[in-house]
Amino acid sequence: MYGWIWQRLPGGTAARTVQVVVLLVAVGLALWFLVYPWASLHLPFDQAGVG
Amino acid sequence: MRVSVRLYLRISGEILITLGVVVLGFMAYMYWGTAIREGAAQRAFAGQLGQQWSGANQSLAALTNPADLALGKPFALMRIPRFGARWQFAVVQGTGLPQLALAPGHVPGTALPGMIGNFAVAGHRVTAGNPFWSLPSMRAGDVVDVETIAGTYEYVVTGKPQWVAPGDSAVLAPVPGHPGQAPSRRMITLITCDPPWSGTSRVIVTGVLVRLLPRQQGIEG
Repeated sequence: MYGWIWQRLPGGTAARTVQVVVLLVAVGLALWFLVYPWASLHLPFDQAGVG
Repeated sequence: MRVSVRLYLRISGEILITLGVVVLGFMAYMYWGTAIREGAAQRAFAGQLGQQWSGANQSLAALTNPADLALGKPFALMRIPRFGARWQFAVVQGTGLPQLALAPGHVPGTALPGMIGNFAVAGHRVTAGNPFWSLPSMRAGDVVDVETIAGTYEYVVTGKPQWVAPGDSAVLAPVPGHPGQAPSRRMITLITCDPPWSGTSRVIVTGVLVRLLPRQQGIEG
């Protein structure tokens, strides 16, 4: 999976490394600011209500 | 065949490792991300309340009408000295997860601060700044201050924390624990979950109003 992505990135090793870092940061930001906030409001952790 | 088996094993291994990292990231978000989100919201809430309370429109000095409360909007500041001098949280209306993610929430339908009946507030034990982490350590005589536009209502805890089932709505009754009885006292009930992270049971702490310290113009409470 990751090998497949690496092979399809254009450019040399340095250019690919930069692209990989950009991709990882983008995925991390999407998780932290979109996916995790959404999930935290829909998973039944620490339920505090009564009734 | 042998090559494709190794390929599938490698791909599934990569997927499993990726999922593990994603789940670890979610744990980190629950510990730190929710606290950051809650902290930013609390600063905004405190600013909103400060503006409302210092505004010229003091004609409605008391908070007596439940219709004045909007879901997710702050209306009070809660302070509990037992939890530390700096422990202060804005209280919002509503106890859904979107509200509790930002602040302890007032249970809709229960009394307002200072009113006869039961002012019930639920808050997270963990996540969102862990507002009610220390609730099980509260004891009779501990003070719970609730500041509204009218001033600071001082409640005093009347007994040890109680553990109840998640469905035990009797603790929310106007006379806590005695649904159907007509209230004569001004009570407060604080609710959180136990054990932390779970929905297994609830810890509740009950108190009674002892006095109202009216707001002094020009002096920050």
